[in-house]
Amino acid sequence: MNSIKYLFFLISLMSCVTMLAQNESSMFSNQPSTVPKLTIEPGIGIHTNFGTDFLITNLIQWNPINHLSIASHSSFNINNITQRYFNGIKTNYNFSINQKFGIGTTIYTKRRSHTFLLMTGAKYTTFRETLDDERFDKVSSSIRALSPDYGLMYSQKKIWKKYFFTYRMYVPLYPWPTKGAGDA
Amino acid sequence: MKNNAVKFNGIRTIGSALMIIILFSSCNKEEFDPLLTHEFAIQSTANGAVYKIRVGLPANYNPGVEKYSSIYVLDGEENFAFVSNQCKEISDKLAVRNVVVISIGYGKDRSIDYTPTEVSTVTGGGPQFLSFIESQLIPLIEENVSVDTARKSRVILGHSYGGLFGAFAFSTENTLFGNYLLLSPSLWFDDLISFQFEKHHRSENKDRTQLVFLGIGEEENFGRMQAPFDAFYQILHSQYSQLKLEINMEKNLGHLGSKNPNIIKGLNYYFQNRQSR
Repeated sequence: MNSIKYLFFLISLMSCVTMLAQNESSMFSNQPSTVPKLTIEPGIGIHTNFGTDFLITNLIQWNPINHLSIASHSSFNINNITQRYFNGIKTNYNFSINQKFGIGTTIYTKRRSHTFLLMTGAKYTTFRETLDDERFDKVSSSIRALSPDYGLMYSQKKIWKKYFFTYRMYVPLYPWPTKGAGDA
Repeated sequence: MKNNAVKFNGIRTIGSALMIIILFSSCNKEEFDPLLTHEFAIQSTANGAVYKIRVGLPANYNPGVEKYSSIYVLDGEENFAFVSNQCKEISDKLAVRNVVVISIGYGKDRSIDYTPTEVSTVTGGGPQFLSFIESQLIPLIEENVSVDTARKSRVILGHSYGGLFGAFAFSTENTLFGNYLLLSPSLWFDDLISFQFEKHHRSENKDRTQLVFLGIGEEENFGRMQAPFDAFYQILHSQYSQLKLEINMEKNLGHLGSKNPNIIKGLNYYFQNRQSR
């Protein structure tokens, strides 16, 4: 329940920022922005979540008109890459592929842009683990799962000379709301 | 043109406000009927911690005539209302007698209370916690609430470390509970110590009549959940002759997301397969 409260607070904050900023948008829109209208942002990184995931990602963002953003986010993850044997359990392989598309709005200042996107897509995960301990019988489990993936993405771009730096944050909303009794 | 811009801004503002309202309304904390809920605190003589206990009674609780089964719920502060409401809903749907739900709140850190062996300073209090349940909590409940005192009428429900604790109780104090709802159990803990406990106590436990529900999320891909889960299922399936056993994998859900759906499936399985009185 606490995590839902934090999530609610975060999303409310983001929504309020968007709402308030949009009320002031006429102030910004009169200024010529140096933020590009089409960006392709490949990246390589790590993600810590019960281990360390290695990610290759790409965000394509297109702003056809002021305050409208369309985006595509792709990622390939090698999950839990640094811990392949844990307490007698061997990870044979563990990958995820995510593809999401989103639409949202962008707020501009002269050298920055703040984009809020509602993203939706799918995630394919496949992994195989083996209980590999000489004291017990060897048992392997493998999973191939295709699941929905939707959430809110915030992306900020900061222009510096002819370069831009980007920061983005993704708040997954799946699985939410959680299943109730009627789904049993 | 200006009118259109004003309209567009208005729609955006209303949209944002609606989003906040929807989010706000979705964050209501689930509650169980307060008239049927009793709360008290009890100090464990085994470890000194004080536990908040909540007891959820059936809607038609009739202590003079009926003896009810009891479900002991770990992580009680999070799960009490959900489990109590589901028990009511499922028992109504199946037209069977509801149960008394007893939730155990946090006394010490859950990672201390729910883990059977000490591998760090925040693990290893499981034996004391089990002793508290056996020697203090269950006798207190069975003295004051109209519940059936037979092993077959007691259920334990736990998720994650709580599931590990349930597996620990299954192996080491099998006479206490006759039904085990083990959700995403952390069977990897301490170099698969649960498998050692199970093997060590197998001869005493394997011929007892009991019910086990094992639930997990399909996307629990931390490199430690699925293989021990499947291995534990295979052992129970092949070695325990008098066991009613069900396994469930919640599609598209992970460790936390699968908890409530597995609670629902586990309770359904229990209500449909519990031993007749």
